[in-house]
Amino acid sequence: MNEQDLKQRRPDRSDKKSVRKHPADLTAPKKLKLLFTVVDRKKAELYSDLIGQYSVNLQIILPGEGTAKTETLRLLGLDDTARAVIVSVIRDDLAPAIFEMLEERFQTVRGGKGIAWSVPMTSAVGVAIYQFLSDYREGREDPARANERGREK
Amino acid sequence: MTFSHECIVCIVNTGFSDAVMDAAREFGARGGTVIHGRGTASQEAERFFGISIQPDKEMVLILVPHDLTDAILYALYRAVGLKTPGQGIAFSLPVDQVVGLSSLSFGENREGAAKGADSGKNPENADQ
Repeated sequence: MNEQDLKQRRPDRSDKKSVRKHPADLTAPKKLKLLFTVVDRKKAELYSDLIGQYSVNLQIILPGEGTAKTETLRLLGLDDTARAVIVSVIRDDLAPAIFEMLEERFQTVRGGKGIAWSVPMTSAVGVAIYQFLSDYREGREDPARANERGREK
Repeated sequence: MTFSHECIVCIVNTGFSDAVMDAAREFGARGGTVIHGRGTASQEAERFFGISIQPDKEMVLILVPHDLTDAILYALYRAVGLKTPGQGIAFSLPVDQVVGLSSLSFGENREGAAKGADSGKNPENADQ
């Protein structure tokens, strides 16, 4: 193998400097939140998919029960209390858009009423874990900025 | 930073979620969600403290306004605390955003909650 072959096999890093971001373009890591969404169990997949559109990589759906409104209703079996609790890790900067979407869906989807709230996350261990949870991908446009641009258009 | 709502998490032995909700409703909570789970505890700690931990648990999530939190936590401590058959622990998490709550949800029982909050400032002294 001659030197030219070796050069060809070596990854080309000559243009790496141009890919590297200018310090002014670097931003602090985005904060994360834990979003709890409680909905009818039949609608869990729907809401999970809707939330998943906002750069959410980790969601857990837990089967739960709503607490019956009255003892009488429960005795008569008239309360459908099957609920699902969707726990999603969301980015702080995307939270307003997610809440806006959920509020609209809670009012418009038939049988899709629910409640959602978020709790701030204070720490996560590991860069790879953080990148996974925040859906950070090198070289890809920030989804929040892309959304803003879309709205401007 | 203050939050308008808090999420009360109460983990009790299976079958005690109704007791949790009864205690919470008395102080202004409207509804909750129950999740089933299995608890794990150190066997060595169980032996040391002479208690047995039932592994089947229920986790009750209750979303309440910030000003009702103390009263409800105190009520839970009294009704389903570690010294009761429910063997419950309760804590609250700060909630920074909420959607889906009706504005009339927490109108009732605020007076009772205020009284409960006053008496429940120091739960450690509750039995004294």
